[in-house]
Amino acid sequence: MTTRDVLQVSGLSIRNANLPKAAPVLQDVSFSAAPKSVVGIIGESGAGKTVLAKALVNWVASPLEISSGQLFFEGVDLLKQPAERFNAMRGREISYIGADPTSALDPTVPVGSQIVKKLVTVKPTLSKREAKEFVIETFQAVRIPSASKRFNDYPFQFSGGMMQRALIVDALVTNPKLLIADNITQPLDVTVAAQILRLLRQLQQDFETAIVFVTASLGTAVDIADKVLVMKEGRVVESGGTSGLLANPQDDYTKQLIHQVPDIWGAEPFHSEQIDEHPILSIRDVSKTYQLADPDVVFGKQAVQAVRGVSFDVRRGENFGVIGESGCGKSTLSRLLSALESPDTGEVLFNGTSLSSMSSKQLLNWRQKMQLILQDPYNSIPSYMTIGDIIAEPLRIHNLEKGNALWTRVKAVMTEVGLNLDLIHDLPAGLSAGQRQRVSIARALVLEPEVLILDETLSALDQVEQSKLLALFADINRRRSITCIYISHDLAMVRRICDRIGVMYLGKVVELADNESLFSKAGHPYTRALLSAVPVLEEKPFEESVYLLDGEPPDPINIPAGCSFRTRCPFAIDQCAQEEPNLEVYEEKGSAAACYVGYAKLP
Amino acid sequence: MTDTVSNATTGMRTSQRMLAHAWAFKEMKFALGVFLFLIVLAAVGPVIIPASAIDMNVGLRFLPPIFFEGGQWPHIFGTDQLGRDLFLRSLIGLRNALMLSVVAVICMFVLGCGLGIYAGYKGGWIDTVIMRITDVQMSIPVIILAITVLGMSRPTPFSIIMVLVIASWPVYARVARSVALAEKEKEHIRAARIIGAGDLRIMLRHMAPQILPPIAFVAVLDIARMMIFEAIFGFIGIGIQPPTPTFGTIISSGTQYLLNSWWITVAPGVLLAVTLTSLNLVGGVLERSRNHVLQGGR
Repeated sequence: MTTRDVLQVSGLSIRNANLPKAAPVLQDVSFSAAPKSVVGIIGESGAGKTVLAKALVNWVASPLEISSGQLFFEGVDLLKQPAERFNAMRGREISYIGADPTSALDPTVPVGSQIVKKLVTVKPTLSKREAKEFVIETFQAVRIPSASKRFNDYPFQFSGGMMQRALIVDALVTNPKLLIADNITQPLDVTVAAQILRLLRQLQQDFETAIVFVTASLGTAVDIADKVLVMKEGRVVESGGTSGLLANPQDDYTKQLIHQVPDIWGAEPFHSEQIDEHPILSIRDVSKTYQLADPDVVFGKQAVQAVRGVSFDVRRGENFGVIGESGCGKSTLSRLLSALESPDTGEVLFNGTSLSSMSSKQLLNWRQKMQLILQDPYNSIPSYMTIGDIIAEPLRIHNLEKGNALWTRVKAVMTEVGLNLDLIHDLPAGLSAGQRQRVSIARALVLEPEVLILDETLSALDQVEQSKLLALFADINRRRSITCIYISHDLAMVRRICDRIGVMYLGKVVELADNESLFSKAGHPYTRALLSAVPVLEEKPFEESVYLLDGEPPDPINIPAGCSFRTRCPFAIDQCAQEEPNLEVYEEKGSAAACYVGYAKLP
Repeated sequence: MTDTVSNATTGMRTSQRMLAHAWAFKEMKFALGVFLFLIVLAAVGPVIIPASAIDMNVGLRFLPPIFFEGGQWPHIFGTDQLGRDLFLRSLIGLRNALMLSVVAVICMFVLGCGLGIYAGYKGGWIDTVIMRITDVQMSIPVIILAITVLGMSRPTPFSIIMVLVIASWPVYARVARSVALAEKEKEHIRAARIIGAGDLRIMLRHMAPQILPPIAFVAVLDIARMMIFEAIFGFIGIGIQPPTPTFGTIISSGTQYLLNSWWITVAPGVLLAVTLTSLNLVGGVLERSRNHVLQGGR
């Protein structure tokens, strides 16, 4: 601990004034940050990471209060300074970026003006024009495309990733000595999150800022930090240099965290035992376009092409994965597969029968065989029905059981998914997210479906719950021969549980491959970009520096002609702009990718 | 065992929280107490008070209330121009007014919310048609409608309720529709469709329990509004017809004797005012609690 440290925290404790007897929220936290270094703070939700991050910018709101400790910033104990003095440092010397970019900007003021306003307040000598030029320059530095045009855009015109970039500009524009990044990559897709991390690393060199990087993902922290603090229940259980900590963790909790980071390439690829070659579900050239009102033309319409000509077969008994980032059309696909909406063109065949040719009575019968489990554990089950009634409802609708037999079946399925039978009369109000998802799963399983679609079912859960539920699915799979379709953005999960995987980009399947080939070979540059961006601890076969993309997916209203990926593809050739490539088989197992460059020519 | 499960269905979390929040207000306890007392009074008063509301007794006309000189037991509020007991007449008026307005509010609630949820859930031309009907309905003033309908035939309790319902259901339809529009996009509605629930089941079992309780809370205020309408109808002679006493008819007949026998008008007026105040207090607190809970308070 030298005086040269930008930030030195010693013995910081924060408690809840309303609960004086409870354990403190933060207990005796000490660490320091040298100039130009990145300190990663990692821990599960509830570990006190965000309270710590906010305490560093004097943002400890009642009922929380600092009970003891010192907070040295460049040798001065900030906690002993008057609050105005500390507050004045915020935004000048110390900057903070939060997890939710959408609520951090004023929705009624153009993004650029908000940042200029801040800059002019901090540096009153700057003229408005100079400030604007400077902000546009910084926009370019964080790779916001057409920066001068984006300057006048409002926050709602920015995507999540763009907005996070704008906030980084906002934080760095005053050239602070310390930047606090609180969970900034959490709401973003993997490729965008990896871009933001890459950007932070570069900017940190240019601006010479020390960064305190708070995250729940060890993979992300390791990626960026020189030094890592592991927090649990308000205490620092271990800290040290990143590589040393990884190689030789001392605390059990750290070991557990390291163990929880998914192994992607180290894991054995998944194989279902009984796969029938006969497809149970066939998707034939399915498209869906939504008409939205065009804000620029009176009565005008815009076509949003959510799904564009998707075809694949799912064989009976296999686990099929659909992966892609937000906006790629995977949720629309799940709605088409579950007949909540019907496709504009093409058809979905179940055991050879087209869904669109079914009468409403046949469709109702078919619903017993095909169930979809939704993402949001809080909104997908009704809050005013008891858990027993929620699970019994499908049986009542389909008139399958009555009286005692019905409740026997409900209890059997509750036991199967690991719900305590005492909960049967309870409302879902007190349930955790994981238990709620179990209720959803039980409600689907009680019908004994043949096909189960899981639309991001596990993505709202934490790592531990996820692994428990994955084990549950493996178990269910063994006992009942269910065909599962996992729709997800989580590559590690798909690696663990799927036989074959389709990769979607802008409403098209760009690669369709078996688990092994997809992760080791990957015939499409987009797949490789995805794989290069996953935050893991192991060596990746695809280098981030070669494959990671710039920019973000184009607007599905204006999809580029030719290959839709070409605008972001580092390997695009002339042919890509002319027509759309089709899926071409690139290896003997039948894996196929839609790319003109071809598997052989990719680096 | 099975019975308890199927019966323990719809415990409504939100509305329970609203009630708990409302009960914490002092005025809630007070107003509810007054209101319940009035209901009991209206129910049992006519049975236990040894006087008649209809039989005339010319010898006892224009008796002042019992608290004034010349007042006589059991005529607490005094008597009217035909010697009938005013307290009893007012109580019967209150009973009729309460019954009419509660039934009317229940009917307009069911009709309005039903159509509103249907319109919001179905959308398309059904939505358009129902909403245009509400537009037309809302452009006709209640009094004009009442004079037209009730003035052309002998008004009965049924026809009065009809007029009130027809005049007021569009508000409920509007509100229910707008909430239904938001509700039908929620995940649990999608989940219900996935397990095969039909439209009727979704509307009744999945949307109504979410949509109705908050509207019902506001409907309490409408009971007071309907009582005022009932009194107005009686006052202009298109309410329930004599000899059955109503607030409106008592007040209007008393206006002729206002200078000498002011109590004929004032007695029912006070009773009506007390009832309305207590109802409005209850409704107001419920509405505040509703806003509080819907905005995330506990």
